[in-house]
Amino acid sequence: MSPQQLNMAAVGFRNWARALSKGKQTGFSALFSQVRAASGPSKGMLPGPYPKTPEERAAAAKKYNMRVEDYEPIPDNGEGYGDYPQLPDRSQHERDPWYSWDHPDLRRNWGEPIHWDFDMFIRNRVDTSPSPVDWHTMCKHLFGFVGFMLLMFYFGEKFPSYQPVAPKQYPYNNLHLERGGDPEKQPEEVKHFNI
Amino acid sequence: MHPTTLILSSTLLIIFALLTYPLITTLSPTPQHENWALTHVKTAIKMAFLVSLLPLFIFLDQGTETIVTNWQWMNTTTFDINLSFKFDHYSIIFTPIALYVTWSILEFASWYMHADPNMNRFFKYLLLFLIAMIILVTANNMFQLFIGWEGVGIMSFLLIGWWHGRADANTAAMQAVIYNRVGDIGLILSMAWFATNLNSWEIQQMFASSKGLDLTLPLMGLILAATGKSAQFGLHPWLPSAMEGPTPVSALLHSSTMVVAGIFLLIRLHPLMENNQTALTTCLCLGALTTLFTATCALTQNDIKKIVAFSTSSQLGLMMVTIGLNQPQLAFLHICTHAFFKAMLFLCSGSIIHSLNDEQDIRKMGGMHNLTPLTSSCLTIGSLALTGTPFLAGFFSKDAIIEALNTSHLNAWALTLTLLATSFTAVYSLRVIFFVSMGHPRFTAVAPINENNPSVINPIKRLAWGSIIAGLLTTSNLLPSKTPVMTMPLPLKLAALLVTISGLLIALELASLTSKQFKTTPNLITHNFSNMLGFFPAVVHRLAPKLNLTLGQTIASQMVDQTWFEKIGPKGVISTNLPMVTTTSNIQQGMIKTYLTLFFLSTALAVLLTLT
Repeated sequence: MSPQQLNMAAVGFRNWARALSKGKQTGFSALFSQVRAASGPSKGMLPGPYPKTPEERAAAAKKYNMRVEDYEPIPDNGEGYGDYPQLPDRSQHERDPWYSWDHPDLRRNWGEPIHWDFDMFIRNRVDTSPSPVDWHTMCKHLFGFVGFMLLMFYFGEKFPSYQPVAPKQYPYNNLHLERGGDPEKQPEEVKHFNI
Repeated sequence: MHPTTLILSSTLLIIFALLTYPLITTLSPTPQHENWALTHVKTAIKMAFLVSLLPLFIFLDQGTETIVTNWQWMNTTTFDINLSFKFDHYSIIFTPIALYVTWSILEFASWYMHADPNMNRFFKYLLLFLIAMIILVTANNMFQLFIGWEGVGIMSFLLIGWWHGRADANTAAMQAVIYNRVGDIGLILSMAWFATNLNSWEIQQMFASSKGLDLTLPLMGLILAATGKSAQFGLHPWLPSAMEGPTPVSALLHSSTMVVAGIFLLIRLHPLMENNQTALTTCLCLGALTTLFTATCALTQNDIKKIVAFSTSSQLGLMMVTIGLNQPQLAFLHICTHAFFKAMLFLCSGSIIHSLNDEQDIRKMGGMHNLTPLTSSCLTIGSLALTGTPFLAGFFSKDAIIEALNTSHLNAWALTLTLLATSFTAVYSLRVIFFVSMGHPRFTAVAPINENNPSVINPIKRLAWGSIIAGLLTTSNLLPSKTPVMTMPLPLKLAALLVTISGLLIALELASLTSKQFKTTPNLITHNFSNMLGFFPAVVHRLAPKLNLTLGQTIASQMVDQTWFEKIGPKGVISTNLPMVTTTSNIQQGMIKTYLTLFFLSTALAVLLTLT
């Protein structure tokens, strides 16, 4: 094909691409924008810098689908969290098991703000639900029990059971030949006890 | 070739062929017919059991043991890995027992799981597990043992998480895998040590070349492996959590076969441990701690399967104690007898649970002796065997262990703990029977409770026969390799019986209190300790994952990302350059003081350098 024809084909292709991406967003024309949207969150949905003014706070709260009163960003301590909300460190175990959640296995509804450590708080991982006995008592009792057992095992090693009452007495003249004694010499008798 | 050895090797390899045939037929794309589980799998296991009786009788008559090395798998000039099967005293006796118990459990499972749409897959998983277990017990080298070891671990994961729609079952399966993995670290450490120091993974060569070496490190690795697989204290929470799986899984894996794999490893490699006092003391103390701790936890549980699971853990601790006493054969005897009555206890529990419409809380059972007399009688027989009632199966192994413990010049605290755990065994066994079989029903009569189905009753009856006579048969036909202590003071001889009876009497006394009006569940410290499993899961499962995951998250996002995107790039450049820039521009402000200072400093430096 001549260069002129190739040029015409490129122009035609460009017009077609422009029409598809900017035309009425229905049917095939919507394909390009849909594909682009499906490739990740849009710039407006991504976390942004730490909000300093009340307007920024309100915008961030709206972005994370939270009420302005509830929204509290993670403190700006140089760790780069931006405007991500500080949600309470409560695991999904603590949520109502009988409520009809949108995702029953995750106990979460669609659109709910996701905790930074959400993958840690699912039902297969860390449980923060209140225990019948408080944390410090549990730790004290468990480690106290293990420490006590280790201590008692140490004493048990020092004072073993079933103490022998006399030294061992071996047959064959106290195993004279087996211990490498002279076969000609007569060994002295070793008797610790009589049966 | 002598016909005896030919028959022995052939039958044992036929067993493998019989067991793998149903699996191979599942590889075809056409789905299996509905009754495949019963017609193929159960029949294969029954046949394999009958075939395995032949080598057993040959061994009992003539004492033939054989090592079959089939195939040179991975051989280099310095290191050999072969496909090698060791059919010795331990595997020849264990294989028929495992096949007998599995046959009964599969027959039971055909009733228990009959409403499950994937019953064929369930049976396939159980068959795959059994093959892995038999590979483990017949392995003659560490590599083959490791294949069986990992195989049983994976099948345990798949079977515990059988009802994978349930988050608790998934968590329990994860726990099983993670705790077993921690144990595997020890096994791999030992294997690496053996490979580098003894230059072999063949068991015979390892025994021969390890004389005179200090084996403490690999033995500690093996003990860690046994701690993980056999749920000793420290790596034990997965066993009670594994009760999330169906009851046939609990009966097969988590009572008779898989959990004894760790103990079996130590029994197999016992010649390495005989002379190492550190390893033996560790086994003794760890086993004693496990047996008491888990028996304490079992005292206040209300789920019938959890009680039996803790009972299994306690018996595993007892087996570990036996290994610490330098008596591997007694430990093996206990494995064999324990398989029968523990599997039967689980099957009876499963039968009761299913009859009560999947109710597992013993506080909501009662009076089952009138409704399911055979099941509750077998529950009683199993509990009596468990507590070591004279001349039932458990007596021969348990009493021998306690006698050996009493007459050993060893840790007195381990002795105390084991005797205490023996009495606790009687207590929680009576508790189960009291709440389940005795008294009046504490549930509403919904479905008609019956024992009419032979697939339930025949396995339980078969295992009941095993629980009664297995101990007698085994001890009558096999000579102990270590001479037991024949003379001891009468209290020591009767110690096991005395503590069991005292536990029973205390339990009966406590049970009689239930009919009087007392405050419900007093908030005692010891009750809380026991009911919350020593606070071990509550503390460890919240602390360790949280620390690990937050550490991982912080490293991944804060440390790694921030380092690469900011500190190595723009911010790093700034932080290194800025001090230098400020210093340089401060110096060049035009202040005479600064110039004079620098002048004097450099003069002094030059003078000093030229003078010294």
